[in-house]
Amino acid sequence: MVVLYLIGALAGFLNRKLSYFLGLLASLLALYVGVKATFFGFSGTALFHFFDNTTVGINVDKLNGMFLAIASLSFIAVTLFSLDFGELYRKRMAIFLNLSMLGMVLILLAHDGITFLIGWEIMTIFSYLLIVEHKGAYKEAFKFLAFSELSTVLLIIGFLALYISKGNFALSGSTNNLVFVLFTSLAFIIKMGIIPFHTWLKDAHSKAPSNASALLSAPVTLMGVYGLFRVIDLAGYNHLWGIIAVILGSVSAFWGAISAAASKGLKILPAYSTVENNGMILAMLGFASCAHEYSTNSTLFKFAYLTAIVLSLSHTLAKTLLFLSIGQAKEQLDEESIDNVRGIHESVGKIPALGVVISGLSFSAFPLLLGYVAEWMMLESIFQSYQFTSVFNRVITSTGGVLLSLGMGFASFSMIKLIGYSALGFSHGKKAKPMNRVFMHSAELLLIGLIALFSFFAVRLFFGFGYSQFVIGALAVPKGWLIASAKPVFGVISPAFLAIVLAVLFVVPFVIYLKSRATTKRVISWNGGLNLTEEEYFTANAFSFIIEYILRFVYATKEIKDGNRVFVSIRDVFDDVYNYFVGIANRVTYLISKLVMNGKVYFYLSYILTMFVLIFIVFG
Amino acid sequence: MRLLGVFKEDNREFFLLQDEGKFFKSDAQNLKDEFSNYDLIKNRDVSIGSEPVEGEGVFNFRYGPVTAGVKEAGVFNIYTYGERILSVNIDPSYKKRDIERLILKKNIDEGLKFAESVCGNFSVSHSLAFCRALENCAKLDLPEDAVRLRVVALELERLYNHTTVFLKLARGASQNVLTSHLSFVFEELLRINRDFGLSRFLKGVVVPGGVRVNESANFEDLSKRLLSLKDKFEELYEHALKSYNFIDRIHNTAPLDRELALKIGVTGPTLRACGVKEDLRIKEKGYEKLSVVVEEDGDSLARMEVRVKEFLNSTDVIVDNMAKVKSLDKLKGVDLKDLNGEGIGYSESPSGLLVYYVKLNRGILENVYISTPSVFGFKAFSEAFRGFIFTDFSFAFDSFGVHFSDCAR
Amino acid sequence: MKSWVFYGLSNRLTERFKKKDGKVKGLSPVFRNSLHIFPIDVGNDNELNFEIEALQSAQYNIHRFGIFFTDSPRHADILLILGRCTEKMVSPLKETINQLPSPYGIVVIEGSQPFGIKPKELDLDNVLAYYEQYLSADEVLSVLLNIMEVK
Repeated sequence: MVVLYLIGALAGFLNRKLSYFLGLLASLLALYVGVKATFFGFSGTALFHFFDNTTVGINVDKLNGMFLAIASLSFIAVTLFSLDFGELYRKRMAIFLNLSMLGMVLILLAHDGITFLIGWEIMTIFSYLLIVEHKGAYKEAFKFLAFSELSTVLLIIGFLALYISKGNFALSGSTNNLVFVLFTSLAFIIKMGIIPFHTWLKDAHSKAPSNASALLSAPVTLMGVYGLFRVIDLAGYNHLWGIIAVILGSVSAFWGAISAAASKGLKILPAYSTVENNGMILAMLGFASCAHEYSTNSTLFKFAYLTAIVLSLSHTLAKTLLFLSIGQAKEQLDEESIDNVRGIHESVGKIPALGVVISGLSFSAFPLLLGYVAEWMMLESIFQSYQFTSVFNRVITSTGGVLLSLGMGFASFSMIKLIGYSALGFSHGKKAKPMNRVFMHSAELLLIGLIALFSFFAVRLFFGFGYSQFVIGALAVPKGWLIASAKPVFGVISPAFLAIVLAVLFVVPFVIYLKSRATTKRVISWNGGLNLTEEEYFTANAFSFIIEYILRFVYATKEIKDGNRVFVSIRDVFDDVYNYFVGIANRVTYLISKLVMNGKVYFYLSYILTMFVLIFIVFG
Repeated sequence: MRLLGVFKEDNREFFLLQDEGKFFKSDAQNLKDEFSNYDLIKNRDVSIGSEPVEGEGVFNFRYGPVTAGVKEAGVFNIYTYGERILSVNIDPSYKKRDIERLILKKNIDEGLKFAESVCGNFSVSHSLAFCRALENCAKLDLPEDAVRLRVVALELERLYNHTTVFLKLARGASQNVLTSHLSFVFEELLRINRDFGLSRFLKGVVVPGGVRVNESANFEDLSKRLLSLKDKFEELYEHALKSYNFIDRIHNTAPLDRELALKIGVTGPTLRACGVKEDLRIKEKGYEKLSVVVEEDGDSLARMEVRVKEFLNSTDVIVDNMAKVKSLDKLKGVDLKDLNGEGIGYSESPSGLLVYYVKLNRGILENVYISTPSVFGFKAFSEAFRGFIFTDFSFAFDSFGVHFSDCAR
Repeated sequence: MKSWVFYGLSNRLTERFKKKDGKVKGLSPVFRNSLHIFPIDVGNDNELNFEIEALQSAQYNIHRFGIFFTDSPRHADILLILGRCTEKMVSPLKETINQLPSPYGIVVIEGSQPFGIKPKELDLDNVLAYYEQYLSADEVLSVLLNIMEVK
């Protein structure tokens, strides 16, 4: 598989299509391995001697198999999509894409810290190059690189701590080294774009080419999620860690959701939604840790853990779909803001529009879609916090739960905005650029199908993941088709049966509607007796102004009037903090450069001499 | 000095000007820069509005021409980026009937019919201003009874117009009991109109040189009915002031600044609600009982209070004049068939100053210019409504008592 | 001072109404008990608008007859065209008629003004009654009641 990715990357020098195709094959192989490991208990290790008694290599077990399967679904869709989409960009994009996927596969399969770091760096560097592929994205790409390297440094420290405590780099067995847990967790949290480390994410993801955005937003952040799972796997559940994770995760989910609700950029909104979803995943992991601390007899910690997995799956699929569909529209219409792509269903096509609708609804927890199952599970976990005996735990988890639920509400608001103003809505009558779209559409259809199917067969997934205790049968639902959130039963849901019931309730009225359609009169929307002109359409900005105004202390909303120009300005306050630091850093580097590079020859000479001396001292 | 109108005659531009109680036309040449409302008057048939805006997310929330909120055909272009009203631009052209052009080459009787049809609910004001223009041209003096009956007609018109303003504000705030009772008062007033002048909107009452009223009208009975309505109205008003829900909606809504009001050229209750004590009726015959009502705040509530108090005062004026009328004989009007020359006539309509400039040649109308209060009222609304939200629309708009038919002629 | 509720209940303002018969076309027996009306001003001098306002006054209490005014033509059974049309209102008028759900009827009251396009020149369908003169509120009510009664 690794080889296939490499060949794919090399093939990129020859032909784009071939390269993407090989990437697709490799991803299919990855899916095969992942599914086999998850559902059929396949495991294996391949090791090479590195130095001393340290070995490096790859390893497949149930945990990374699961994440490999999830990520590979996204890879498949992205490579399939790129078969068409890549035409817009240069050949080297194919190389970068393949290599960055290779990096991720290495991370997932890493047996030890060193392989993990190699994979991490490959992924980081080629993701950086992918972002740069988009014109004028240098600044955002650099920001991405800076934060990624920060997490690399943290990882190195963490793995060194691991080495010190265990004597090897292997990511198996167990350790309770605090430094390891702390530093690696922080590194992964940065990668996931959790608050306050989210500012790079929205900038980079919104600027990158759309297939790269999909890759960055779904699988790349998934690497952070996997990392956290691995840390828990190694270090066990830690109560304090759990509390911090719940706090960070819920705040992040809330902040991501309200920022998404107010964003106007076509790809900034999904990027903030990534912050929100990763926040939920983190919060659920933290919840699992807290629950484990409270009692291992209760099924709560297992359920929260499973919720985090389902959330990851749901987010990966839906976010890939969202970025691909939005990206296609953005590229074909050449527009940046939500307002300007109105009516994708007419201008670009029904399938990308459906893609936006389905993914958006999934993020809004709409029944029949996977997001509904995931968020129901999350709420069920939160409701069970009554089990905690300590007041501290209860306060933290229920406050976190409040933030998460609010976040869900705002997420729905933002998704309605995105769906309503891009996929649906009145068409501008704008013409889309012609493009080959067969593969793009098949990628989108594949993901749409998966989101619906996984929802229907969610119970089957649970069996595969090894959580059969949460699958029961009751209330006229046959055994094996009902999800229960706890044992003894607390709350139940059956997505499959809900789908069947809704289908019956929907199909019957729909048939009646079709029969009686002859009498339906079709007219333009009523607007005072005149057709709406272009400037009279309700804008997306206007849609969200009301919350920007009500929450003006959060958004730092300002209504600005400058002559005849009027607009509303909102800020992400975290941007301000970073800008402040960047400002200081700029000033310091300026001062140093002025001090060091002052253009005087003797100064340079003395500098060189000092360096020489220093090097001799260090290595001598 | 106030600029009321701009018109062309013999290919030259003239200004219609007012200085206290005097009206005159003047050559526009060296006065052009003196009046800041020149552009407003020039563009009154195309668009009336505040400064235009543009920006990210700004769109035109068009209201009209067919809507249940504003019964008349007219368009409000409301620019907003969501909730906040940034700029209002009013397009009166949907109601434009071009009466000033159609009226030309018509004789005086036909002209009067046209003048009455400009705005049905201001028909007394329009016909009065038109007839006064003719009478000024002919230098006619009217019998005292005719003057008094004209005052009665004009004030009756004021009564029902002020009632509708109050009624619309009450309806906007969902004050259902108040609305129903005010609608009762409104219909009763229209019936009094019919009994007094044979038309529910007092059309045909004012004629050149006289008045035509219902000769079998019992003025004592009418006075009694009016006074009982006045009591009811006063009771309703006091009751309304105690309703926090109602007052909260109109207090501080769409306030108009005194300086701005004077700059725009607003007259009538809107100006008086800004603290300017100006009412041309005070010097006229028949207004012995008149007291000019002034409020300071300039907001919707102040405009409503001015109107309500004027209502109460006007009933006294009507009752006083009805009692003083001696006989209805010899008031049928004067034949002005061969009138030559030009004249300016005004009337203090329910919403402000209404002025007609008329030029005749052997009893045929050669040139007519109509300056209506609604033009200035719309402009004032568009300025005052900025910064508010659309929910305040009816409270802001209805309180100005302006009409598209009056504005677009 | 009584509260609004008691103030409202302690005054009876509704009057008995004696309908004047007139010749109108019927719409459908469906509307025997209820009729929804959307009035549209196409350029009248406001007199007719004020009559419609007066028609909603407490004396007539039109709701007892099942007559209601709607805020959108899409909810209306009858379109009440008020006045003679100005040039710019022709297309909004046609669009408003287009928005009416069938079966619908149109009632035209031209009013007393001597200018404007006569609605009958616009080839409107389903005109149930056409008046070239001005009608007062009680006359309008009679017309509406007559339309409801026709089988």
